[in-house]
Amino acid sequence: MKRILVIDDAATVRLYHRSILEELGFEVSEAVNGLEALERVAEGDFDLYLVDINMPKLDGYGFLRELRGKDMPQAPAIMVSTEAGANDQKLAFLSGANLYIVKPVRPERLASHVLTLLGMTSNGRGAPS
Amino acid sequence: MALKKPAPTAPSSDDERRLARDLPGLLSALAAADPLARRWAARDLAAHPNASRALVDRLRIETEPSVSQVILTTLTRLGDEIAVAGLTECLRSEDAMLRNAAIEAMKQLPDEVAPVMEQLLKDDDPDVRIFAVDVLESLRHPRVEEWLIRVIAEDPHVNVCATAVDLLGEVGSERAVPTLHALKARFVDEPYIQFAADLALKRIAQG
Repeated sequence: MKRILVIDDAATVRLYHRSILEELGFEVSEAVNGLEALERVAEGDFDLYLVDINMPKLDGYGFLRELRGKDMPQAPAIMVSTEAGANDQKLAFLSGANLYIVKPVRPERLASHVLTLLGMTSNGRGAPS
Repeated sequence: MALKKPAPTAPSSDDERRLARDLPGLLSALAAADPLARRWAARDLAAHPNASRALVDRLRIETEPSVSQVILTTLTRLGDEIAVAGLTECLRSEDAMLRNAAIEAMKQLPDEVAPVMEQLLKDDDPDVRIFAVDVLESLRHPRVEEWLIRVIAEDPHVNVCATAVDLLGEVGSERAVPTLHALKARFVDEPYIQFAADLALKRIAQG
C-alpha cells in the first residue's frame, strides 16, 4: 500500500486530506509541522508528501529543503497553501516541491494530482497497492 | 630582542559582549557586522524599554534568521505599542519563517495584541487576515470566539473563513452554531467548508 505523509498544523485540514486519501486506498500518516515530519521520514519511507507552507517550528519550505538534502530516495511533494502569489509558488519549487496547489482543496482535484504524481490513473489501472 | 607590538585586532564576538551594554552601546552592536554581536545586542536590549523602535528597524533589514528570532523574542518581552506594531508588520513579510515567528510571538501578548486585532481581521490582504486568525489560535483572550464568529459571518474570502472555522471547532460554543450553519449556506459548493463546519458543529454538540 502506498504511504502518504500529510503535514499541516491544522487538525481539520489533516483530517480532511486523510479522509480523501484513505478513500483512494492510501495509508496516511500525519505531522503537525516540518520538524515532526522529518521525524516521520526518519522512521520510514513515504511515496508522497502533502505539505502546508505556514507552520510553526519548521515551515513547509524548510521541511522540503531538509528533505531534498537527504541522501535517500526522493518521493514527490505537493505543496498546499492558502497563498496564490507567484513568489510563494517560486519558493515552493525552489524548495523541492513537484506541484503547488491553492486551498481550499477539492477532493477530485487532490485525487487527480496524487494519482498522476504516483504514476497511477483514476480509472482503476494502477490502483494503490 | 625587541618585542614586537601586536597589531590591534577587531574584538571577537565574546569581546563584543564585554563592550558597553548601555543603550547607545547596544544600539551600535545591533548594527555590527558580526551576527553574534547583533544577537547578543538584541538579547540585552530587552532591559531597555526604549529599544523597540531600533529593534523593529533592524528586523526589517536583518538577514540572519537567528538574529531575527532573538529580536522577535525581545520585542515580545518589551511588548509595547511599537513592538506590537513591528510584529504585526512581519505578518506582511515574504519570509515564511519570519511570519511564523511573529505569529508565535503575538500569541504571547493577548492584551497588547487585542487592540489591533479588529484592524488586522479587516485588513485588505486576505493573507494577513489568515495570519491574524492564526494568532487567535493560542491567544488567551475572552473575545477570541466573538472575533472568529464575526470572521465566518462576514469575511468574503473562503480561506480566511476556512482558517477561522478550523479554530471554532476547538474553541467555539453554542453561540457559534447559527453562524456555522450560515457559513455552510454561504459556501455551499466548497467541500472543505462543508467538512470543517460539520466537524465544528459536531464538536460543539459534544461539548
